[in-house]
Amino acid sequence: MRRQPEMAEVDRTEYVFGENGGLGAPSSSFFRRIASMAPQPSDEDESDTFQRTVGAGYTYADQIAPNKIKRTKSRQDKHKGRRGSYFDLDDDWDANVEHNLVDGAKFKKSLAGQAMESAESLAFAECEEMNNRISRIRRFQAVLDAPIVDLAHLKKLSYTGVPEELRPKTWQLLLGYLAPNGERRERTLAKKRQEYHNGVQQVFNTGLDEQMWHQISIDVPRTNPHIKLYSHPIIQKALERILYLWAIRHPASGYVQGINDLVTPFIQTFLQPHVEHASVDDLDPETVPQQSMRDIEADAYWCLTKLLDGIQDNYIHAQPGIHKQVAQLQDLCTRLDRNLVEHLRSEGIEFMQFSFRWMNCLLMREVPMGCTIRIWDTYISEGPQGFSAFHVYVCAAFLNYWKEQIKVKDFQDIMVFLQALPTADWTEKEVELILSEAFLFQTLYKTGSAHLK
Amino acid sequence: MADEYDFLFKIVLIGDSGVGKSNILGRFTRNEFNLESKSTIGVEFATRTVTVDGKVIKAQIWDTAGQERYRAITAAYYRGAVGALLMYDISKPETYEGVNRWLNELREHAVSQIVIMLVGNKCDLKHLRAVSTDEARQFAEEKKLLFIETSALDATNVELAFQNILTEIYRQHAEQTTLQADFAQIKPSQGQTISFTQQPDESKSSCC
Ligand SMILES: Nc1nc2c(ncn2[C@@H]2O[C@H](COP(=O)(O)OP(=O)(O)OP(=O)(O)O)[C@@H](O)[C@H]2O)c(=O)[nH]1
Ligand SMILES: [Mg+2]
Repeated sequence: MRRQPEMAEVDRTEYVFGENGGLGAPSSSFFRRIASMAPQPSDEDESDTFQRTVGAGYTYADQIAPNKIKRTKSRQDKHKGRRGSYFDLDDDWDANVEHNLVDGAKFKKSLAGQAMESAESLAFAECEEMNNRISRIRRFQAVLDAPIVDLAHLKKLSYTGVPEELRPKTWQLLLGYLAPNGERRERTLAKKRQEYHNGVQQVFNTGLDEQMWHQISIDVPRTNPHIKLYSHPIIQKALERILYLWAIRHPASGYVQGINDLVTPFIQTFLQPHVEHASVDDLDPETVPQQSMRDIEADAYWCLTKLLDGIQDNYIHAQPGIHKQVAQLQDLCTRLDRNLVEHLRSEGIEFMQFSFRWMNCLLMREVPMGCTIRIWDTYISEGPQGFSAFHVYVCAAFLNYWKEQIKVKDFQDIMVFLQALPTADWTEKEVELILSEAFLFQTLYKTGSAHLK
Repeated sequence: MADEYDFLFKIVLIGDSGVGKSNILGRFTRNEFNLESKSTIGVEFATRTVTVDGKVIKAQIWDTAGQERYRAITAAYYRGAVGALLMYDISKPETYEGVNRWLNELREHAVSQIVIMLVGNKCDLKHLRAVSTDEARQFAEEKKLLFIETSALDATNVELAFQNILTEIYRQHAEQTTLQADFAQIKPSQGQTISFTQQPDESKSSCC
């Protein structure tokens, strides 16, 4: 459904309807596919919810729900005495939905019958989505609050996306930074954070590695220049410290351009809880308490370290990891669509020319930040192979997505097209389509070709 | 839509990270400048068509990543290049000192008759100048390089730099060969772009 500008005037929540309503066939089929392929959870109740979540298209929930939830919260503020946490707020939640419907109905009077019907069904879908989202958050919460977090379970849940507000903790657990044992967690966390800050002090007090520092200092201002957050000195200084300490501690690779990009989804995600209304993109870091900022910096460092541990071969001398992945991508694409690969070849295009960056920056340069974060939910829950082996399947699905456009272009137009793909408006919807396809490719080709492992 | 041109020249942009390669390319091909552009990962590609001596020349420009770690993959793009803009930053002497290393890279991976232009960029930063024009010019003469100072920021000499190198390439090759137009018909031979690689020296450069 087209977004109707008037909707925004009726009620802010209506806007959400217009923009995100409707269950895209591809995404729901994604979940059906995943549901049919993924190993089913053992206990019955769980598998039931899994199916329901799947069927109702959880896909859009992450986009929609933050608005919803914040709204719900502000309504709570207005109606003092209502319940505290939104996780156990079924009544209030429903009330909010009704409220939408009523406002929506007012609005609908001015629309033709057809639009009315579709709005109604959207409202219904919306309601379903919200309920699913709530039950999903509850499921995550239950796993996260356990005395000892069941990582396998958390992985399974996270594969199809992590609710925004639970993402920091989920990522940190799955990356092996937070201890699954709740009792020990706080103490080890405090120790790790201190260790980071001590490390920073130490490396900056012993003579600078000029060359390394030079490269980092010219890359930090060139990091996500399209996002306002990264132009702030507080963030830039934090990036410098994180990157420099990591580089000194990993002399086999040192700092390699592109690693600066990789730290930012962590910064972005860990800052999220500090954002009230606007996007984290526009957050003024001065509004974040200093101690929190220090903690976020340390957490981002350790999570970056965990991430890079799995893909160090991408950044050491001669970058063998990337060469291997580019070869795998070409191999996989040849199996998927020989015509596409043949067209590229006949136009004189080498995979290296366009996919080197895909590997080096994990597609971060190709899709918006929000999409990267959603992709990482899946990568992180894939375990150590997520950012390497599974990434190749994702790249194959990504290339596949553009194949019809590519096939009618010549050398020059393909090069120009592939280095600035029209993904600026991408949301999780497109990304989940890509991920679902990647998952399918992996299922189809993983066992078939030993060298793709 | 096939555009028309008489010749197609492949040019590479090389030099240390941060000297302004991507910005000079943006200025030349899109008339854009970005104080905070992203670093280049691997290579980026752009084209622009200009007229030299009444001939329509299409420049196919490969902007490479400057960091040492990328040397292995960027060197592959020297193959088939007929021109190179070797850039440094006039406010950063280290980038000027790096020029010799880049010349060695070219010697190793490019065809011997490649036309090289030494480009001192960021000449708008007058108060920060650390490499004198005379010194660089003299060095260029010794090494038989073209020389110019530019600013991608205020556009000084950007057009001229490309015009000069393309003219020089055109004249050298016009002398050597009677190249007939329609390069559009020729398919690249080794997965590289169309260029003057159909030259005797090709065998030498294919080692990379
Ligand atoms: N003052 C000034 N700044 C410039 C000029 N050209 C580039 N810059 C700035 O220098 C920085 C680096 O420019 P880039 O074009 O990204 O440098 P690069 O050589 O492509 O760097 P890599 O991609 O890392 O190899 C950016 O902040 C630019 O805005 C110039 O002519 N004058
Ligand atoms: Mg660049």
